[in-house]
Amino acid sequence: MRPGQLTRALSAPPTCSVDDACRAHLRDRLSSGLAPLVERLPRRQRLVVNLSDLRRARERPDSPSRQQEPFAWKPVFVRRSLGLAVVDACAVGRFRSPAEAVGPVASEAVAEWERTGWRAFHWEPWFAGLHRGARALVLSEAVTWATSLWASFDWAAFNERPRVGGGDDQWVCPDAGALILKGRSELRVPLAATGPDGAAGPVALACVAGGRPSDEWAAELAYPALVAALRSPTRPVPARVAGLWPDAGIHLVVDIDGEVLASAVDRVVATVHVMVEARRLLAQPA
Amino acid sequence: MVTDRAEEGPAVERRRQVVTAGGARSVPGPMKVVRRPPRASHDWHPLAGQAILERLRVTGRPRLKSDPDLQVRLRGSLERGLLGHDRDAGHDAPVAGSGAAPPSPSSPVVVVTKDRLTGVLACEAHHVAGEFGDRPPTPAMACGALVDVLFRQLIAVGSIDDPMADGMAALGVDDRQQDLVSWIVGMAPAEREALRAEVERQAGALIRHWPALEPAWLPRTQESMRVGLARGAVELSARVDLAIGRPAEDEASVALVEIKAGARRVEHRADLHFYALVETLRSPAPPFVVATYYTRTGELDVDPVTEELLVGAVRRTIVGTRSLWSLAHGSIPRRTPNSLCGRCTLLPECEPGQARVERSEAAWARGPEDGG
Repeated sequence: MRPGQLTRALSAPPTCSVDDACRAHLRDRLSSGLAPLVERLPRRQRLVVNLSDLRRARERPDSPSRQQEPFAWKPVFVRRSLGLAVVDACAVGRFRSPAEAVGPVASEAVAEWERTGWRAFHWEPWFAGLHRGARALVLSEAVTWATSLWASFDWAAFNERPRVGGGDDQWVCPDAGALILKGRSELRVPLAATGPDGAAGPVALACVAGGRPSDEWAAELAYPALVAALRSPTRPVPARVAGLWPDAGIHLVVDIDGEVLASAVDRVVATVHVMVEARRLLAQPA
Repeated sequence: MVTDRAEEGPAVERRRQVVTAGGARSVPGPMKVVRRPPRASHDWHPLAGQAILERLRVTGRPRLKSDPDLQVRLRGSLERGLLGHDRDAGHDAPVAGSGAAPPSPSSPVVVVTKDRLTGVLACEAHHVAGEFGDRPPTPAMACGALVDVLFRQLIAVGSIDDPMADGMAALGVDDRQQDLVSWIVGMAPAEREALRAEVERQAGALIRHWPALEPAWLPRTQESMRVGLARGAVELSARVDLAIGRPAEDEASVALVEIKAGARRVEHRADLHFYALVETLRSPAPPFVVATYYTRTGELDVDPVTEELLVGAVRRTIVGTRSLWSLAHGSIPRRTPNSLCGRCTLLPECEPGQARVERSEAAWARGPEDGG
């Protein structure tokens, strides 16, 4: 899909909606599916599920049972957050392209952290302590990532400027407090400024992924919409989600209705099952 | 074509003459010295700055238009070549003629990269031997890795301070390069100094010759490209050193450039054609040009992308992928004597390879007068 086509497809008026009854039904179905699974978690453990977990649990079911390495910053961990800041700086017109924006945006982040001690991106101290050659590698990774997002859309064609990045949506399962669902998207595109009663209108989301889409791409794309719907019961459910797989040059769009959200609920339950069993396996004495 | 000649004058430097479609030129390198008659100096100089961009931009061939039919035809040829009907098995074989089982959800995906394609087409046994375990680092490998990250640095920030320090710092934050970094740190001082000198020489040439790229051209390094084929059983995978140009819409608009720190080799051209094919299959239009830039010499090999080039790449990809598929499903690797035999780890136990090496050595010993 070309940038103009994708932009039009993402920002078109909603074609379907999810009513409150459907939303309540999905929440109940999810809670009742998750509660017995989470009870099986080893004591005092919490489970955080995101879109990558959904993909991994289906494609490589044995991967959650491998021991996780302790976290250490790497260029690939920085490229998304720096890349999003770069795209945002381009979207507001400060820079013409990611290659031009990346240096100033990274420098400003570090300067702000040095001035205030506040880490807007978390990586600022790590980045500031790197040798010049390593910093250049981080910037290169971010430019490549940001360029794939920047070049996917016709930014002038959006009716309202999309929100780039922002915090993840989170939902804590009320019947299983040890479980948190996290939904992440790269863009939120307002589809209507306000509803008839002045309430916020629906948004469309865009999510970037590596590799190629799976056969169940629609359910995977519906996941961030599901988490957004669970998190804010009063806000409209996102009307659609675009998936961008830049490596494969594939862009797909799914309109969000009750059916596709139900398929996402099923994927979440299946994923949590895999993850809980993996945690139990790891908790067993050797 | 490569021939040898000696330079005249007091500052004699041994050079090899490289003859290409663009004319003859000489480049440094340890070569056999042959006398040549005195001639007016017309030493070749590497392209620099705007001239590199012009060489990439003006190929002398019209740029291909966005053509969904071309993409469908190329993909169809690949699919037919890989997913043909297996008469013996009586069903659609995932890879024609392989005799292997059809793909299932648990079947491993056969990932086809430029290196795997080149390796398996040279000799299946050599390819299989090289697939097991990591290759031990060499100075050439270290130089290549350092120059790769320095090139990225030059594109991203426009300058390189201390090539060895900058390059090592960049490799140090890439966890795939930790073994190589440790190996470089552990090199003998003299070897490490030689590596430093070569990296500094190549980085210096890059700084002098490589042009600044307009940010508006969307330069990006290490861009990943993937295409699924044969119902997902096969994945073509590439990672290009530099892509320039806004992704294509109506006409080819992207240039792909591969950076090589080592010697020029004939298979590098086929690597580029593979990149062109993968980019064509994933984008609305093909790239308009693919090129290899040799940082050691400043040579730039440029191929305008044409339909013929893409069709040739399809044929080669089918042949190589069939081999990779067969090997992944348990076929016994075939041994094909080739120019790599002398460096193959299997040579001590490979009769065809030994025979090939003996023939080469005998021909070398006879010299060119005897037709060697």
